[in-house]
Amino acid sequence: MTTESLLQQAESLLATMSRGSTRPETNRLDVVIESSGLVPAVSALKNARWGYLTALTGLDLGVEAGVVEALYHFCSDAAVTTLRVRLPRIGGSVPSIYQLIPAVGFYERELAEMYGVTVTGMPDDSRLFLPDDWPVGVYPLLKDFDPQSAQPVKVPPPPRGSSTGERFIIPIGPQHPALKEPGHFEFTVDGEIVTAARMRLGYVHRGIEKAVEQRNWIQSLYLLERVCGICSHTHSVAYCLGVEQLAQVEVPPRAQAIRELIAGLERIHSHLLWLGVAAHEAGFDTLFMYSWRDRETVMDLLETVSGNRVNYSANILGGVKIDITAEFAEAIRRGIDYLEERSRHYLDIVTTDTMFLQRTRGIGAMTREQAEHFGVLGPLARASGILRDVRVEAPYGAYTRFPISAVTAQAGDLEARFVVRLKELFVTCNAIRTILDNLPPGELAVKVPRRIPAGETISRVEAPRGELFYFIRSTGGDKPDRVKVRTPSLCNWTSVLHQAIGCQLADVPLLLAGMDPCFSCNDR
Amino acid sequence: MKFGAMFVDVLRSVFTRPATRLYPKVRTKAPARLHGKLYWDPKLCTGCTLCVKDCPADAIELITIDRATKHFVMRYHADRCTYCAQCVVSCRFKCLGMSNEGWELAALKKEAFTVEYGSEADLAKLFAVEHPGEGIPPAGEKPASALE
Ligand code: SF4
Ligand code: SF4
Repeated sequence: MTTESLLQQAESLLATMSRGSTRPETNRLDVVIESSGLVPAVSALKNARWGYLTALTGLDLGVEAGVVEALYHFCSDAAVTTLRVRLPRIGGSVPSIYQLIPAVGFYERELAEMYGVTVTGMPDDSRLFLPDDWPVGVYPLLKDFDPQSAQPVKVPPPPRGSSTGERFIIPIGPQHPALKEPGHFEFTVDGEIVTAARMRLGYVHRGIEKAVEQRNWIQSLYLLERVCGICSHTHSVAYCLGVEQLAQVEVPPRAQAIRELIAGLERIHSHLLWLGVAAHEAGFDTLFMYSWRDRETVMDLLETVSGNRVNYSANILGGVKIDITAEFAEAIRRGIDYLEERSRHYLDIVTTDTMFLQRTRGIGAMTREQAEHFGVLGPLARASGILRDVRVEAPYGAYTRFPISAVTAQAGDLEARFVVRLKELFVTCNAIRTILDNLPPGELAVKVPRRIPAGETISRVEAPRGELFYFIRSTGGDKPDRVKVRTPSLCNWTSVLHQAIGCQLADVPLLLAGMDPCFSCNDR
Repeated sequence: MKFGAMFVDVLRSVFTRPATRLYPKVRTKAPARLHGKLYWDPKLCTGCTLCVKDCPADAIELITIDRATKHFVMRYHADRCTYCAQCVVSCRFKCLGMSNEGWELAALKKEAFTVEYGSEADLAKLFAVEHPGEGIPPAGEKPASALE
């Protein structure tokens, strides 16, 4: 179906709940609904299998307007339908849609604690991001938030791990020898079998969404690039695409191609990093060390091409800073030839090594239906047979000129996730070669005004871990009014926590690693 | 299905050199584009302060010595800099660049990270204003620039 007919379909599905609809951009439909109409509206979209819920944005329109909006964004291919629920700034309330879409759980908790919107009927309304000693009734993303009001309050010590009969709750993290990431998990176990799982985030929350409201459009680019140290380029591409869309500038084809090229190198680096971590969690440290040794090849390439090893800073608003000359192209070709050969070897290992297969084959299998129900994204979805890849569904930038083919598998288990990611490396290597052979000539950047025209836009790009979603709003000034970042990791947690139930506790670390969670993406 | 799928890799490694680089004993040459320490050419600067406005890390200050004759001193905080090179792009007069040699920036004192750029005379004037009565330091000994 074309984008236009998808939007028309959504419009007719939502006709009875709608209190007015607009078409802010060619691929977007905004429908204003009342909070009482939210559940019927979401059901209507869900029953018609119209796309998936991709993000929930909170938006404070300011003290004078007295309105906070909750925006529920649904995507189907390139079409985006946004349900806009207008609420009073103080005491607003929306019903939870967790029963319809479980992935919304984390988003609703974020909306509640950042904007003070009451979400009625949430199964878990404990804090997700804000610290335990954050005062009640202080909401940091409201425009009139005063940092002085966020003085720490005294909190009672957390309850001791409880045990009833044969059940125990095992807390893991935020500091734990087996978990090197700042998250906290509670696994209820019955013997060795996990019977319930919860998690808590926010230990390294940096408040980036708030901080960009104090920086100009250019400065924000570098702050957003630092949301994640692994997919930094993807974040900056998502932001640049959005701002360029608002400013109505056309990025030169050469710059777009270079952006895709760097994104490809970044994907190789990310997947090889993940391969090592996942192998390590499975106890296969030989694979961990060899894959990380090889990863240095791509890190060196990124450093040579961009000048930086982690936050490449390749983008500027309106284009890129760096050019790919023939000499760089040659170095990249040599590097990816080697990496492709190594990746084939690793694919062979993870699909044939008997010991390793005992840790991955048939473990944590997620069917296509489950994957759709939990709204998973990225390689996790593709390993369960869902073609969910923004580069294919809604090509942006150079992906229209240099398309890629999505890799899918059917089994949905840990092995399939290894296979999908490794095969993606081959696709990426080929795409990079095609770009190098056909690099369009021309300029590297166009001028972008310092003040961005007022408006709202949505930009979606495919990060190594799945769809990355940015909602950007400008009021015409030299600073963004709101930048919402929804990272793929936050989306995928729900499915993995549900999947852990019924598994052996010993399989949980690998199950978590199989999702390729990024904690710095969660704690923006 | 097979056992020990990586056995050959391991065996081969016994006969190859370790992948670990022997830094600092052996220094590899940094790539030409490496974003190392920032440098600034005072002769071209017009004092437009675009670089200061766009720096995401508040790492550069432009101190006016004499606006009419376009004399400025740039104070650069290497410890705040994120090495993004936005300032280099923002400057329309190509005053700024990043050196691929200045990357070994560790120091024991924080002062070492504040670097001042400018002509000898301008630096002396600035020093006199900021340290009244201390006397101008001997030529060649720029105040608080121990990074080189
Ligand atoms: S490189 Fe970036 S952080 Fe450093 S001074 Fe220039 S703009 Fe600022
Ligand atoms: S942008 Fe260039 S000309 Fe303007 S103040 Fe900075 S260095 Fe000087």
